[in-house]
Amino acid sequence: MDRWFLIAATLLAAVAGVRGLLVLRHGNRSRWTVWWMIGVMLCQMGYLAARGEMRGACPLRSIAEISVFLAWSLTLFYLLVGPVYRISLLGVFTAPVVVIFQGFTLLPGRLAANPEKVLNTTFWGETHSAMSVLAYGALALAAVAGVMFLVLDHQLKEHHLKGGLFRNLPPVRELLVSLERLLWLGMVLLTVGVIAGVLMILPEKEDLPHLIAAIAEWSGLPHLIAAVAVWLGYVVLMVTKQVRGMTGRRFALGAVALFVLSLGVFAFV
Amino acid sequence: MELVCLGVNHKTAPVEVRERFAVGTTKLGEAAQQLLEMAGAPEGVVVSTCNRTEFYLAAENATAALERLQSGLAEKVHGHEEPFYHYQQKAAARHLCKVVSGLDSMLLGETEIFGQVKQAYQAAHEAGATGPMLNKLFQKVFSVGKKVRTQTSIQEGSTSIGNVAVELAEKIFGHLKDSEVMVLGAGEMSRLTAQALVSRGAKSIIVANRTHERAIELADEMGGRAVRFDNWLDELKNVDVVISSTGAPHTIIHREEVESLRRARKFRPLFMIDIAVPRDIEHSVGEIEEVYLYDIDALEQLAEEARARRGYQIIECEKIIEAELEKLVSPFTKPQ
Repeated sequence: MDRWFLIAATLLAAVAGVRGLLVLRHGNRSRWTVWWMIGVMLCQMGYLAARGEMRGACPLRSIAEISVFLAWSLTLFYLLVGPVYRISLLGVFTAPVVVIFQGFTLLPGRLAANPEKVLNTTFWGETHSAMSVLAYGALALAAVAGVMFLVLDHQLKEHHLKGGLFRNLPPVRELLVSLERLLWLGMVLLTVGVIAGVLMILPEKEDLPHLIAAIAEWSGLPHLIAAVAVWLGYVVLMVTKQVRGMTGRRFALGAVALFVLSLGVFAFV
Repeated sequence: MELVCLGVNHKTAPVEVRERFAVGTTKLGEAAQQLLEMAGAPEGVVVSTCNRTEFYLAAENATAALERLQSGLAEKVHGHEEPFYHYQQKAAARHLCKVVSGLDSMLLGETEIFGQVKQAYQAAHEAGATGPMLNKLFQKVFSVGKKVRTQTSIQEGSTSIGNVAVELAEKIFGHLKDSEVMVLGAGEMSRLTAQALVSRGAKSIIVANRTHERAIELADEMGGRAVRFDNWLDELKNVDVVISSTGAPHTIIHREEVESLRRARKFRPLFMIDIAVPRDIEHSVGEIEEVYLYDIDALEQLAEEARARRGYQIIECEKIIEAELEKLVSPFTKPQ
């Protein structure tokens, strides 16, 4: 059942992206993109409910499950912040990313048909997983906004101002403001995720030798180090933007590059 | 009842003739009543804009009403060639649809005409000069005008340099209410462009001109402030849009000057419009990442492209008008 929900969500996202692009080519915006994306969201929730039932916990135990959760988080933030943008256009940019994440999960052998039940869950463990993936949803949407900015910036710099894409993209300033807000939101969620991750591995006795021993024994250490590195990358980006200032192009490129790099964290999961 | 239209416009009459027929917006109702007397018709509307004055009548005998109207207006065209055009029945309805849709305007697809015709009809209606035939016609024509504008691209794109500048500024900054504009050179082109930005809500205007008195004059007109020309660079760190149109024989804004302010500006986007010939802004300024530089050729090219795009839409608009006129069941839809 979970797989069917996922297939339906992926097909709906593909339709949203393709239809949106076709309408855009004719110089208009698709008013239906948001409705297709609501459909995507409902199917994703159907998948998450079915998969969560099978796992007996939040379905975040494999790369495949994390990819779908990430796609759900991305869709969620799109539907929450979409009105800030011209909603359907952000959807047109978001839908292909959702298709990529979910398509990856649907590859043969990726999503276990009968996943193991999760027997021992901890509050900090669940918080770490959920907050981190939610954060990646916000950061993914920031990267999408960054790509939109880069496209518009290129068109304005090169005076290529024809076509539906240029007409329908939101203004430069709005894109930059939204990009910054999404990055802050992602940062806050990621910070909670990283702190929860540290608390998750803390031993009962919190003296230094026990702490070192617990960290050394914990198999998820590379993943935690990678997550902290990503977090630091975003901190540097945001602090630089805030204190020194940064051109829109570098800020957008930073958001896109950091998100692509951050996907490497999942390699350690 | 038959429908008739008689008019003068920018294609048939020079301004010195058109101005003799012009009717102020507050006098449109009165003019409609005078029209009824002159033409001996029960229903009439006078449409008057800077480019046209048109008289729409519903009469028992269109030809007779037209003759009476033409002879009544004859003295106003004394000394000039016959400036009138006229249409009857369906052709008159078709013409009104084109007028309302902006297809007959000097600036193809302009939107102002829709409101002006609506105002003319409203005034005639309030003055009791309209009846069942013209009421039905004008209501239909307004819905056709809306349909043409929503279903085609006839009004899309900016067709003047000032409007192109505004459109680009809005593409960069969104609402202009938070945007500060600096005008270098107080010539006519910069005045028009600045005015277009102010009309769209630009937050403030700073004017710098070699003749400071002229800068003060323009700043007063725009509700902004004037600065000495030597101080324009100090102001640059706060502004979002620069319009430059000085008469200088060489460039006055150089890359190193703009570069020196980037940190102070926190690398915010800067839209620079150079409408001077010879150009005021060094070309390499446009290579700075956050600077969007447009010179007069780039702006004119964009305006020309928009005009061409509107031109391609005429056939689509006419198809909509014909289809809608077919649906209109009325005595005047019979061919003349």
